[in-house]
Amino acid sequence: MSRLRRAFSSRLLLPGAVVVGVALGGIIAFGGSATGASGGGAPASYGDSAIFYQYPPTSYVPAGQALFATFCSSCHGSRAQGTYRAPNLVGVGAGTIDFWVTTGRMPAENPNAIQAPRKPARLNDQQALEVAAFVNSLDPSKPGIPNVNVKDANLADGADLYSLNCAACHTITGAGDELAFGTYAPSLRAATVTQIAEAIRTGPGNMPRFSGNLTNAQVRDVVAYVAETIQHPANPGGFALGGVGPVAEGFVALLFGVGLLALVGYWIGERS
Amino acid sequence: MTDGTDHQPMPIDVANFDDPHLQVAAVDPERAERAIAVYFFIGMVGMGVFGAAYWQNWKPWTLGLSLGVGLFFIGFGLSAWGKYLMPQGPFTEARHALHSSLAERDAIAAALTERTGVVVRRRSMLLGLLGAGLGIFGIAGLGFPLLRSLGPLPGKALTKTNWRKGSLLVDGNGRAIHRDEIDPGGLVTVFPAGYENNDATLAIDQTVLIRAQTGPLVTEPGRATWAPDGYVAYSKLCTHAGCPVGLYEKELRLLVCPCHQSMFNIDNGAVPQFGPAPRPLPQLPLYIDESGFLRSQSGFDQPVGPGYFER
Repeated sequence: MSRLRRAFSSRLLLPGAVVVGVALGGIIAFGGSATGASGGGAPASYGDSAIFYQYPPTSYVPAGQALFATFCSSCHGSRAQGTYRAPNLVGVGAGTIDFWVTTGRMPAENPNAIQAPRKPARLNDQQALEVAAFVNSLDPSKPGIPNVNVKDANLADGADLYSLNCAACHTITGAGDELAFGTYAPSLRAATVTQIAEAIRTGPGNMPRFSGNLTNAQVRDVVAYVAETIQHPANPGGFALGGVGPVAEGFVALLFGVGLLALVGYWIGERS
Repeated sequence: MTDGTDHQPMPIDVANFDDPHLQVAAVDPERAERAIAVYFFIGMVGMGVFGAAYWQNWKPWTLGLSLGVGLFFIGFGLSAWGKYLMPQGPFTEARHALHSSLAERDAIAAALTERTGVVVRRRSMLLGLLGAGLGIFGIAGLGFPLLRSLGPLPGKALTKTNWRKGSLLVDGNGRAIHRDEIDPGGLVTVFPAGYENNDATLAIDQTVLIRAQTGPLVTEPGRATWAPDGYVAYSKLCTHAGCPVGLYEKELRLLVCPCHQSMFNIDNGAVPQFGPAPRPLPQLPLYIDESGFLRSQSGFDQPVGPGYFER
């Protein structure tokens, strides 16, 4: 959120309308002959007070194209059309690109891996926006980059929605878990507010895409629940042992519980 | 040893259990017996409370606390009995023929009878208390579940869900699902309209609606119209143990059960591809009404959830 504020500062919110108006006027004036990089159907921004979606400015496109040629085109093709090594990216939306690049999953270390792991980002946040601007310019599409207003979130509703929609794969503690055929649901503990919202709206990899069936307010509640409760858990029982479930907890229970029982057994068996 | 002297291991068949040194390890056996009787009594009371709590469906912590107190004090009493009132060895017992001769058995019976006056009668109160505590535990822990917890007969609930011809699909908040609402790769858990908050039937009505693609999806011959616009719906109850099959992997097009990793391919009628599930997930036939909302053509054509005695 703050990243976007920095990136766009004041020039998109109110002046954005002016820019769009001028662009539309230009298109009409020149008979639609030059739609420019930001043409097509997607608005410059949309959303509501819960989540406001923005697109990187078209001025980022040239830098993004250069970055794409360097880091992405060998697999995704020079116009992001996809190759036998990697999927088509045209029309995936700026939020999708921003998610994959800022989580470090792309550029991929091993293009043949079943699933790209989260790792330190190769491109910085500004460069991610530039690449997103370039790919989005090819076919402007939703979602934009979400700006989540977590202040007004309802954590209880977020917890309900999380247990219904997310916990099956990511586990109720957000630790992540194995899925089918070598795929896995990653841990949620390192994800930023923006990345969580992007993942929900775009469905990276095998994750389902939650588009129309969750409102912006519901996504905001889930995002806030993950960012506050999952990432900063209160563990009144003491050590959470990673929150990975019965294996770790059973190991500790066996080691210490049986150890204690052995001591008690020793006491019982001891002669007075 | 209470007297501080070392005893050599003693053959058990020559040990004289009336020897005060062997008889008790406690300094004051009467006091030890009273204490043990109190432990057993507390244990008995704990078991009684446990039974009452189970029968009356009190809060779980009352169950745990009463069972814990009951078992702890019975166990503590038994340990104390072993430590303070039983003959203390060491004894040795040489191997010999498994059964005793008739003469030996008669002698043992006579010896036991002879000692009854001292040893056995003195412990009868303890044995009574111990038996009462364990007896109450047996009734409360084994008998009550059979009497109370098996519940009413399931009736038609095993075979009937609330899905009907024309049921509107709604999410957990009662919102209907429009054909344009979900993008390919999305999913939502749905219920028949009007039953989304019915706790009694939520479990068997729950259905997972996936938009697999934009065009219609034919999962099996004879199901050509069941998945319009790529919307396909399967019962969310695993056919293995009834867990909610809520994990959808959109690139593998698999529904995965979180409990035992059964995997169902949504493209071929959710036939299990891996794991212990024995049957496909029942598919709910869908159609899109004039206003563009999703409805069911009929209920499930087979019972949902795991197998049972007649299936």
